[in-house]
Amino acid sequence: MPPASDLALLVPELWLAALGLVLLGVDLFVGEQNKRTVGWVAVGGLLLALVPTWGLAGAVHRPGTTVFFGSYAVDGFAVFFKFLAIIATTLVILASMDYFRASGDRQGSTQRFEGEFYTLLVFTGLGLVLMAASADLILVALSIEFVSLTSYVLAAYLKGNPKSNEAGLKYFLFGAAASAVMFYGFSLLYGLTGSTSLYVIAEKVATVPAPALTVSLALMLAGFGFKISMVPFHQWTPDVYEGAPTPVAAFLSVGSKAAGFAVLLRVVAVAIAPSGLDYVTLIAGLSAVSMFVGNLLALPQRNIKRMLAYSSISHAGFILIGVAAFGGAFGNTGLLIYLFAYMFFTLGAFFIAALIEARLGSDDIPDYAGLSQRAPGLAFLMALFMLSLTGIPPTAGFFAKFYIFAAAIERSPALLWLVAVGVVNSVISLYYYVNVIRTMYLLPPQDPARIQEPAVLRTALWVTGAATLLLGLYPQPLITFARAAALLLP
Amino acid sequence: MTAYLPIFIHLLLAVLLTAALLGAHALLGGRRPTVAKDEPYESGVWPIGSARERIPIRYYLIAMLFILFDIEAVFLYPWAVAFRDLGVVGLVEMLVFLGVLFVGFVYAWQRRALEWE
Amino acid sequence: MGELAAFIILAIVTLLPAVVVVTSRNLVRAAMSLIPSFLGVTGLFVLLQAEFVAGIQILIYAGAIAVLILFVIMLTQGGTGTALRQVNEQQLVGGLVAGALTIALLGLLLRTPWPLVAGTLPRSNVAAVGGAFLTNFILAFEISSLVLLVSLVGALVIARREQ
Repeated sequence: MPPASDLALLVPELWLAALGLVLLGVDLFVGEQNKRTVGWVAVGGLLLALVPTWGLAGAVHRPGTTVFFGSYAVDGFAVFFKFLAIIATTLVILASMDYFRASGDRQGSTQRFEGEFYTLLVFTGLGLVLMAASADLILVALSIEFVSLTSYVLAAYLKGNPKSNEAGLKYFLFGAAASAVMFYGFSLLYGLTGSTSLYVIAEKVATVPAPALTVSLALMLAGFGFKISMVPFHQWTPDVYEGAPTPVAAFLSVGSKAAGFAVLLRVVAVAIAPSGLDYVTLIAGLSAVSMFVGNLLALPQRNIKRMLAYSSISHAGFILIGVAAFGGAFGNTGLLIYLFAYMFFTLGAFFIAALIEARLGSDDIPDYAGLSQRAPGLAFLMALFMLSLTGIPPTAGFFAKFYIFAAAIERSPALLWLVAVGVVNSVISLYYYVNVIRTMYLLPPQDPARIQEPAVLRTALWVTGAATLLLGLYPQPLITFARAAALLLP
Repeated sequence: MTAYLPIFIHLLLAVLLTAALLGAHALLGGRRPTVAKDEPYESGVWPIGSARERIPIRYYLIAMLFILFDIEAVFLYPWAVAFRDLGVVGLVEMLVFLGVLFVGFVYAWQRRALEWE
Repeated sequence: MGELAAFIILAIVTLLPAVVVVTSRNLVRAAMSLIPSFLGVTGLFVLLQAEFVAGIQILIYAGAIAVLILFVIMLTQGGTGTALRQVNEQQLVGGLVAGALTIALLGLLLRTPWPLVAGTLPRSNVAAVGGAFLTNFILAFEISSLVLLVSLVGALVIARREQ
């Protein structure tokens, strides 16, 4: 039997699970017109979940500390991703409430199953938390399936919209195939080492023949690569982001990606690295290809959500630099800082796309013309997010890229070429990000009417905007926090 | 492994018997097809339209609910076998498991997924 | 020797219908062919002395999943009775990739010195599975109840009509 003290370390997860169950009940008692109540309860519960998480962060746990017979990690790394998942879920729920209302006003209908939408988002948040902390292959597999199942449903949520149905179906087919391949990789790793626990595998992996381990890693990368939309497992990304409800696209591009990176990093750094296998070259190659493919395909996009999807692929490449550079003392923080900062400006950009879509019914970048006159606040924020995505100071994006490049340089001179590729790609990306700013500020509006900004969505937007600026100007607290979280190995 | 020998013999006999009966039918029975014989049998009434119609999506929902609770039952079985060794803690753990699924059951009930409209 | 013969027979029983599943132009026939394939896998589990998993394989896969797949085919317009091509113009590339992967995996399986653990099987592997659920894998066990719950909610959201 697991000791009762293990349960005390599981309070955030228990709280989130209970919140999800309560939301299902609340949803049954709330009238069709007041489904936002469910959203508010979810937001309140998620914010409260930060309290026990903060308590866990305060209690210092040695890296590699696990509970429940070595299956679940309670280290600083896991706590870091708990914060990330909870904050991202909260912001996405805030944005969804006004997204549905504004879309409903325009179309004269209400969103079907709106209460369940918030409930499923909370459960997905829990799944992300579980993914980042799993230290056992069975638990990794289960939590990835957990997140995938809810994401398929969320992507297909707009039942009347054929594109949303297509998004759900494509995401499902890709996801099922990727999971199957990944589980095959897991089973090979289990067969080679005789254990499913990552920390036990780490002790035995040195005796495993290299070819078998390489194949196992390659098969696992298919599943992780799907979650983080890494080339060559990226094909689903533009279609799914375009068709899914925009807040869901934001969630996939931030939440699933971050948790996917957490799992990838834990499996590679804990279980594979002790074997001495040269995985860094493989990861670095995938990183460079992802950056180029994402950026070059983003250039001709007219649809803002497709553009952000390709941008998301290229950012997966940037974050993979951090995975390749993992190991050195400085390298660890680069990836965490990037993921945390990336969360805010990516969510912000998607939220503006959601607002414009809900108000104007369009995702096309040319329809952003004259936004600086129609909604000056929105245009300013969008410009800020675009600059941050490019990585221009004084935004969070600059500081994130700086740290991830520094990590690679610190780790090994062999990664210098990858940094050069990263810099070249930042310059390429400048073109399509600045194109959005140009459209908003320099082109005349087709319709001079002001765009109404719903209050809740505006709050979520200003939170992301403020975080983007603040993290760029005063990053020290995040650096300290990430440094405490970055040690994975005992 | 030898415990499975009877089952294997049983399977073999089943296959052989089927093959023998079908083979005998093919060899001994005559075959004189007519148009009337090829019609689908509709209790003596002329068939109307195609038999291959779409079925309503309600069937899917019922089948899905069935699978979920089927899997729940599968989880119950090994717990029941090991119950004596697991004791009270095992009981509590199973009650938590069942509690979560009970919430799902109540939810499906309240959303009227169990009704045939 | 008897075990090898049993394995070969079961492998054929598993693989032949599986080929029908991915090539048949009739969707119902493809779906029905899954059942003997599942039964072959059941036999393989028995051969590995995993009786509990074998039982589940019959109950869930050969029973419930196959029926669900048939339901879904009957839900679609023209799913039954029409001839469908199961391959598209990518079949050459797909075949090459699948072939290369098969060769790589076969080579890997044959050449790797797999660690073999000598030990005795538990007397009743159902009880052992039950014990593992509620001790070492308790967290996975409880999370699977949540996974089942969200699947239920998700299925309802997708399939249920507006009230």
